[in-house]
Amino acid sequence: MAAAPQAADGEALRSLAWACAAFAGGVLLNLDRVPPWTAATALLLIASRLTAERSGARLPGTLARALLALGVVAVVLWRFHTLNGLAAGTALLMLMSALKLLETRARRDEFVMVGAGLFLLLAACLDRQSLVRVPLYALQVWLCCSALAVVASAGCEGRAALRLAGRSLLFALPLAVLLFVFFPRLPGAFWAIPRGGQALTGLSDTMSPGSIVKLVASYDPAFRVQFAGRAPPAEELYWRGPVLHDFDGHTWRRASGAFHLRQRLQYLGTPYRYRVALEPTRQRWWFALDTPAQSSDTNALLTYDNQLLGAEPLTEPLSFDAVSYTRTRALEPLGAFGRQQDTTLPPGANPRSVALAQTLRQRGGSDADFVQATLEYLRSGGFLYTLTPEALGADPVDDFLFDTRAGFCGHYASAFVTLMRAAQVPAHVVTGYLGGEWNPIGDYFLVRQSDAHAWAEVWLEGRGWTRIDPTAVVEPERLRRGVFDLLPDALATRERLLRGSAWLTRALQRWDAANAWWSDHVVKFDYSAQLDLLGRFGIRSPDARYLGWAFMLALLGWLAIIAWHIGRSARPAAPDALARAYTRLCRKLARIGAPRAPHQGPLSFAQAVTAHRPDLSDRVQPLLARYAQLRYEPAVPQSRNADIEEFRRAVARLSLPRAVRG
Amino acid sequence: MRARVHAWMRRRQGADVLPVTLERRRLYILPTGAGVAFGLLLFLMLTAGLNYGNSLALFLTFSLSAFALVAMQQCHRNLLGIAVIAAAAPAVFARTTGAVHLTLANPASLPRARVEAAVADMAAVAVDLPAHERRRLELPLPAPTRGIVRIDRLRLATAHPFGLFRAWTWVHTPIEMMIYPRPHGALPMPAHGGHKSGARSRGGSDADEWLGLRPFRDGDSPRQVDWKAYAREAPLLIKEYSPAGSELHLFDFAQLTHLDTEARLSQLARWVVEAEAHGERYAVALPGVLLPADRGPEHRHRCLAALAVFGIDDGLKYGGGASGR
Repeated sequence: MAAAPQAADGEALRSLAWACAAFAGGVLLNLDRVPPWTAATALLLIASRLTAERSGARLPGTLARALLALGVVAVVLWRFHTLNGLAAGTALLMLMSALKLLETRARRDEFVMVGAGLFLLLAACLDRQSLVRVPLYALQVWLCCSALAVVASAGCEGRAALRLAGRSLLFALPLAVLLFVFFPRLPGAFWAIPRGGQALTGLSDTMSPGSIVKLVASYDPAFRVQFAGRAPPAEELYWRGPVLHDFDGHTWRRASGAFHLRQRLQYLGTPYRYRVALEPTRQRWWFALDTPAQSSDTNALLTYDNQLLGAEPLTEPLSFDAVSYTRTRALEPLGAFGRQQDTTLPPGANPRSVALAQTLRQRGGSDADFVQATLEYLRSGGFLYTLTPEALGADPVDDFLFDTRAGFCGHYASAFVTLMRAAQVPAHVVTGYLGGEWNPIGDYFLVRQSDAHAWAEVWLEGRGWTRIDPTAVVEPERLRRGVFDLLPDALATRERLLRGSAWLTRALQRWDAANAWWSDHVVKFDYSAQLDLLGRFGIRSPDARYLGWAFMLALLGWLAIIAWHIGRSARPAAPDALARAYTRLCRKLARIGAPRAPHQGPLSFAQAVTAHRPDLSDRVQPLLARYAQLRYEPAVPQSRNADIEEFRRAVARLSLPRAVRG
Repeated sequence: MRARVHAWMRRRQGADVLPVTLERRRLYILPTGAGVAFGLLLFLMLTAGLNYGNSLALFLTFSLSAFALVAMQQCHRNLLGIAVIAAAAPAVFARTTGAVHLTLANPASLPRARVEAAVADMAAVAVDLPAHERRRLELPLPAPTRGIVRIDRLRLATAHPFGLFRAWTWVHTPIEMMIYPRPHGALPMPAHGGHKSGARSRGGSDADEWLGLRPFRDGDSPRQVDWKAYAREAPLLIKEYSPAGSELHLFDFAQLTHLDTEARLSQLARWVVEAEAHGERYAVALPGVLLPADRGPEHRHRCLAALAVFGIDDGLKYGGGASGR
């Protein structure tokens, strides 16, 4: 008797443990999104609940729980200043569910915990969609479904539950894919919930000495580019980001609130058609090859300084098509405002540089000659390309040009533009990326944060804005090779090891191609992609109704398949030859008025038949006895099949005369 | 409302003759509370996924929706094809707990888990049915007072495997459980029909043993007529005596004048049980009923059953809606 309650206790602990595991899985998935104290509190509460269950300790009372709940809401409000928004909502859900755990006594409460685990998974999905996390999400789904099985029937063992849930999820997968493809999406959102403004690595809209160096240490992908035709040569892969006009002597900034009409341009050389897949940056600008001519995307604006500006900050991965040229000519002169904006220097700053520029300018010639002279100065001035320049003082350009003479692309671009402006030649700094790693598996260029770069654009009469890269003068190799090839110290040890082996590089490329595919075909699968896919199936009309029909058909088809497959094993096994022969015999007897009652075995049936038709007794009785023998006595393996066959023939031969009425 | 649903199902399915195999058309399935909550969760997920245009959240939603549909199918099939072989309720004494003995068989190769069986709307008993096996389970049935409990339907249900859905069916098979009166009472067992002054002489080889009473026939000696019984408006009865030696008792309802009806029945039941246990022969006389002296389990049942239904027209009913007593 003592074993029974113990077993029940073990089952209760098991189902509680599984519910806790499902919830803890949800907490762990959100570990990097909520403040550490939130996750720590939740995990601590889980641990204490499990300990209490094991040792049979009492749980806190209603009042204590209510106070704790109020406290949690207050703390979340205090730390986040809101309960709205994904991060605050997640933290609140985490803490409230953990508190709910303290009153978990019934099975219903354990269902609630599993539900909380699924909800936390949803929160994680909403925030992070990268491929590397997908296995974790899949594991959490599996864990939660297994927990459902354990909670639903307490006797279910963990291993059996895992198997059960795993099989069910595998069955569910085809339908999930069908639903994913055909379920009608919305072209927009119903309402917007504020998202956290957490900064991501990437270019910012300011540049000060050293700001790009920090970026270069990051090996993360910035975007991927797939060219429709021929790709430009490596030294033309300038990806334009923020264009910086305002300089305070130390930091370059974007023009504040200035609005100009874009100049009419004559495009020269090859048009490059390509598709860019951007990673989320939480910034508005989109990266495009040098001078984009147009963008098919109506959500982006092409500014006067040839930047593509999106309507909203990028919070999700985004793809767009564009056409760019690497050479252009202005058809209009530079307006007075634009000239003034791009020749302004902070008064009194960097006096030695200003003097140098004026000296170089006085040597005469055109603006183009002056540019060449300046570049020549940089080339021959003993400048060093390094990731670890010395700190600069109050006049950073002066310090760089005359004292340290060592710097990174930002230093060169900044100094060059300063020199240009000092000589009244309009110039500005362009930040962005240079180059990219060719991925032969996915047929695209992968541009990493480490490819960040800064260069200059100078207005030359008769040509318009002309790209000048002063860094290329100092370190010409930078055009063809990445920073890491030139400055191996820039890399952390891990990345250096990764790049050290051809095999690993290859593996990394594969992984990145998988990421690109995932991002392109799954993460960005939206309303338009859906219509696109339907078009490929021959449904041309851009009508959501067709989606609905396709969806319904897919659903019904899948249900039929599943019902057939699952139902198959529930059917009784097909009767064997012996049973079929016996059924036939019974049918024959029923025809002459002696049906077998369901409860009758063969021998009692034989008695009944004998009572009903004594004249048939000697023909029927042996057959029924033989059946009983074949069915219930231990079989003789070698002759059994032959015996059954013989019995079948005997039944087939048997013909029973109807009773003579009389 | 419930009663009407039951009536509808009853009409739809008709009465069942065991063995019954659970077919598709008699299985019903609905989401449980947890299933409804799960549906709400899915709806929220779908809303969030659509609103954010978040593919992963949508895929999660669709995976879980498809999972729920699979769970529904699995729940349904967990009951599908099970055969109800037999159901019977052995007689018990009042104020104990009886049981419906239910035999279920799984003729298929699919093992069934957590099949819950219950009498009408009472608490369920769960059982696992491995492939090609049968199990007998006992569904407890309270037996508060003597009489007959009539059960007109059994419920088979399952929420396996994920508790999101519950499939169930009703098996409309009439089951009767006889509830004997509680054997109770301190009176000593009467010998020779309780006739303290009767012609009983133990040990005498020529003395006859009391056998019981039988209806009067022409030619019977008036000396053998049970005049006392006749005086109580019983029919004219003949006291039979057997010459042989085993004990013989008459348990007569009318003798226990100082007790009320239920107490008398309890006392009689106790005597029957004791007499049977000692292997003695006994007869039971109730107003209008006489059970001649005999012994053995069948006789015991006849006697106790007569006590059980004494004065009751209709038994207790479980699941029939109206309850008799």
